[in-house]
Amino acid sequence: MEKKVSLKSIYVPSGDVVAREVQGEFIIIPVASGITEEEDEIFSLNETGKAVWERLDGGKTLQDVISGLCVEFEAAPEEIKEDVLGLSKELLKRRMLVEKDRS
Amino acid sequence: MKKTEAESYSERISLPEFSLWERMKEKRNLVSFDLEITARCNNNCRHCYINLPQEDKAAQQRELSAGQINKIADEAVSLGAFWCLISGGEPLLRKDFFEIYLGLKKRGLLVSVFTNAGLITDKHIRLFKSYPPRDIEVSVYGVTKETYERVSRKPGSFNHFIRGLNLLLDSGIRVRLKAMALRSNVGELPEIARFCRQKTKDYFRFDPFLHLRFDRDTRRNAEIKSERLSDQEITAIERADSQRLGVLRDRCDKLIMPQREHSSCGHLFHCGAGQGSFTVSYDGLFRLCSSLWQEDCIYDLKKGSLGEAWDDFVPRVRQRHSDNREFLEKCQNCPIINLCLWCPAHSHLESGRLDEPVDYFCKVAHSRKDMLA
Repeated sequence: MEKKVSLKSIYVPSGDVVAREVQGEFIIIPVASGITEEEDEIFSLNETGKAVWERLDGGKTLQDVISGLCVEFEAAPEEIKEDVLGLSKELLKRRMLVEKDRS
Repeated sequence: MKKTEAESYSERISLPEFSLWERMKEKRNLVSFDLEITARCNNNCRHCYINLPQEDKAAQQRELSAGQINKIADEAVSLGAFWCLISGGEPLLRKDFFEIYLGLKKRGLLVSVFTNAGLITDKHIRLFKSYPPRDIEVSVYGVTKETYERVSRKPGSFNHFIRGLNLLLDSGIRVRLKAMALRSNVGELPEIARFCRQKTKDYFRFDPFLHLRFDRDTRRNAEIKSERLSDQEITAIERADSQRLGVLRDRCDKLIMPQREHSSCGHLFHCGAGQGSFTVSYDGLFRLCSSLWQEDCIYDLKKGSLGEAWDDFVPRVRQRHSDNREFLEKCQNCPIINLCLWCPAHSHLESGRLDEPVDYFCKVAHSRKDMLA
């Protein structure tokens, strides 16, 4: 079942992946098994993906991330929200992000 | 903010197709490095250029600790390294192999492992299943007990190899197989090739070029030389392997280069040594490639930093010239140098000098050229 993304939640990079910038490309390398569908795969994030990923530091809700991006980028808030939600959904599905346990 | 793709913010990339490989070739960029985490081995193979006895305490004491390896890995990652090969000796001899392996994985490196598979246990399988390597490359010395143990000189090693290999294959871990072609197993080479191609769909390669020892041990070097196949034997097995012959023929224009005859450059290093990768020995010696052991081409990482080795030391080594007329006339302009095992590193292992022609290599290269003609 697909997990619902909440603006009030805090999401953090999973310990099962490592994000690195290599030769100007922002890539996510699976450390543990089960992240990729095929063997021998990595992931590359585009500029939007990178900007969002770098703000997922464990201290911000998705709403905080969106607000921060709205200040930094000249784009309509609705567009930014759509981007952040879209990316988060994609990364959660791939187990690259996990929801931070606030208990 | 703009998405670069219609519906996706992240892109799945198959590693062999990763454009990074091509981009990294355009200029000098660190891509990968080899860590020889031990020189010790549970086997005692006749042709091996590195193995020291498993119980060699002095060698064990000189081995880099997991902490020292982590420090090197941190520096390598900050320089852009992306891929690490753990080799030996037999790397699984290290009691802290798990710690070393996971340390590299958790730094965001793709990790490959070279092993003879004889020490693989269920615990290794669990590790590799949970944290997959890019691949495990296993050496196949023979497919019968008699041949395998003639090469390994270790009673019982064939059964251990078969058990370990089957554990790896049964668990679905990506395994590549390779074989060294030497006097002691050449009679079984067709069976070895068949065995390897049956066991894995991935590529299989055999290597008839036996390197001399890193420690220049004269007794062991004499053994290695006695295991070398003649030029005619090497071309016979290459000719008999349609896959290998096809690759050589496809690359013929790069392997035979008449224009080299006009080259007047005296530089020694025209290979990729230190261009995109480096090697670290079990005791922390940085080299431009695994074969380059000449003392002026070695940098001790225990006394300096990887950054200095990569940024300052390597370019200095690669600037080295030769004034040996025989070498300059015979090898430097040789149009079939790419069919030859000759390189400064192998020249040094054979002769003690970085710029000596080696008759055996020359004979093999010319036979290979005749084969491709």
